Amino acid sequence: MLTTIGIWIAAFLTLSIYSFLYKDNPFYKAAEHIFVGVSAGYWTVYLWFNYALPNLFLPLFRDGNLWYIIPVVVGFMMFAPLIPKVSWLVRIPLTFTMGISMSLFILQIVQGDLLPQLQATFLPLTGIPPFQVFSNILIILGVIFTLIYFYFSKPHKGALGVAAKIGIWFMMVSFGAHFGYTVMARISLLIGRVFFLLHDWLRII
Amino acid sequence: MHFFDRIAKIDRRIIFLLIGLAVIIPLIAPLGLPVDITAPVKSVYDRIEAMPEGSIVVVSIDYDPGSEAELYPATLAFLDHCFRKNHKVYMMGLWAPGITLGNIAFQEIAPKYNKEYGIDYINVGYKPGGAVMLLTLGRNVADVVATDYQGLPIDSFPLGRMVKNSRDMDLVMTFSAGDPGILHWIIYFNARFGTPIAGATTAISAPRQYPYLSSGQLLGLLGGLKGAAEYETLVGRVDRATAGMDSQSIAHVVIVLFIIMGNIILVWEHRRKK
Amino acid sequence: MKRTLPLTIVLGCGIFMLIAFFVPVRWFQDASQTLQTWYLGVIAFFVFIGIFNLVRINVLKIQHKRRDWQFSIFLLIFLAGMLLAGFIGGPDGTVFLYLFQHFQIPLSATMFSLLAFFVASAAFRAFRARNPEATLLLIAAVLVMIGRVPIGVWIWKGFPSLVEWIMSVPNTAAKRGIIFGIDLGLISMALRVILGIERSYMGGKD
Repeated sequence: MLTTIGIWIAAFLTLSIYSFLYKDNPFYKAAEHIFVGVSAGYWTVYLWFNYALPNLFLPLFRDGNLWYIIPVVVGFMMFAPLIPKVSWLVRIPLTFTMGISMSLFILQIVQGDLLPQLQATFLPLTGIPPFQVFSNILIILGVIFTLIYFYFSKPHKGALGVAAKIGIWFMMVSFGAHFGYTVMARISLLIGRVFFLLHDWLRII
Repeated sequence: MHFFDRIAKIDRRIIFLLIGLAVIIPLIAPLGLPVDITAPVKSVYDRIEAMPEGSIVVVSIDYDPGSEAELYPATLAFLDHCFRKNHKVYMMGLWAPGITLGNIAFQEIAPKYNKEYGIDYINVGYKPGGAVMLLTLGRNVADVVATDYQGLPIDSFPLGRMVKNSRDMDLVMTFSAGDPGILHWIIYFNARFGTPIAGATTAISAPRQYPYLSSGQLLGLLGGLKGAAEYETLVGRVDRATAGMDSQSIAHVVIVLFIIMGNIILVWEHRRKK
Repeated sequence: MKRTLPLTIVLGCGIFMLIAFFVPVRWFQDASQTLQTWYLGVIAFFVFIGIFNLVRINVLKIQHKRRDWQFSIFLLIFLAGMLLAGFIGGPDGTVFLYLFQHFQIPLSATMFSLLAFFVASAAFRAFRARNPEATLLLIAAVLVMIGRVPIGVWIWKGFPSLVEWIMSVPNTAAKRGIIFGIDLGLISMALRVILGIERSYMGGKD
């Protein structure tokens, strides 16, 4: 019974959102605001029970690990902008998190992204079928020409201009493929909702 | 008014209606078009098939209900495959809402294979922190995972005791809708610890992963609903993703026709100006 | 003080973490690990302040009866409902999960699915091949759209292979070039932040 009521609620909310396609209306606005409220409530509960409580407040209050006062105080400094006199204190948690995350970026992006991708660009040109040779040459040239396009210290004229132009062509193919996949993604989301309406709610498929 | 003028000024609600019908009609009256299998999806399937029984697969649910339509069918098909091959599933998530979706998936699949929570599968919950968390997880799981998603001590479960660090993980499969997600697993986990990573992403993110497929940092990829449909076909599970492929096909054809019509109007307007 | 202390923190944390990566001394590694754990704790508060602001803005909207203030009541009622359900019954409580399954999932999924209609409308009105580059983009888009779905195989058996080649060769080449550019830019930006040259994220005049 409760499941059936839940399905009808979900269907009503789905159709309320879709009513926007005809015209903006109070049903859509109400559903939109309900969405924000439910999401905000969900995130708050989940973060509290899955992170803040077991990893910050329990070690401090239950286990008595007094070092955890520091991250708790720094965390509460996020609320400093509410008091104009001490609003500058918000910089402390900001700079703390930026310092940690930026250093991790440098270390891991070199190790995890830049070097492996560079390594992968050194592709074999012999001992493989001719079409694979052609593809590998295309990949190597495509990477080089794309990088040349983003080199703006010299005007894109002459040979540099031609290389930058070819780089644009590679990027256009990539963006076109990306657009194709974007359309696919959006249609898939619509299929999911229509499937719910026809299968779970109306039971006609 | 000329025909092309009428078409150019068409109310967009007509376009909305046509797309809606393009999706609804094939769901009610399926065409039954066969789903082809691509190499990135086959790679994931082959790895699960090749792994010895009892292997530990970390399943990371890194999406929210907004991407449920594309990634939930892939999650079901993958879990079905893992349980059929008697692999152990260690679930976690970099996105909070994913954990509930993961549990719903477990409730649907686990009973079919008589799998027991804590022994054959476990859900350790949402783990925030992205890069920092992953680096810590691979080094020492206990620094990140103290309890399962219900708050019960992780060491009270046999599967919880089995996973100490990255060396105990035979494969990581991430179902990823954005950031943090598949890129974090590749850049911060695979690069540091060498654990093989496979992924299912929304179709929007799929093109971005091809350089990692090419470099070998990503073992395989299920891209969008089509990737999920391919995996369903491979595991012999005809479900939502496969059912949606006819609608996907017709909707794409309709959009391509819109693009062609728009460009015919462009050419006609150009000629009219001359 | 208002500027010096934060800049000292970002420099200290950044340099320490960079050094700790290369120094295999136990104390360094433990301290680095502790800093990373604290980092995880502090970022949770970023979300809490966001939720606090959301409530504050909507309460003010109701108080001052601004446009569409009545809908803010819906927002606050459902926010309160989720919080009560979650904190009383826990995140695995029946009521909380019921609200998640029958409110959040359908609302979130439907909101995102609206984009399908707007993409279709944009495809008709805006995607025009006005120059050779745009034509190349549209051709690639059409090939991928048709080749990646079962109807592509029905039209021509070679479509999936062609699309796979487009994704694996020109797309990979361009994306890799873009990755290099982004990574080098990120490293440069990260160094600027750690060294205190880039301070815009701190806000404020002083």
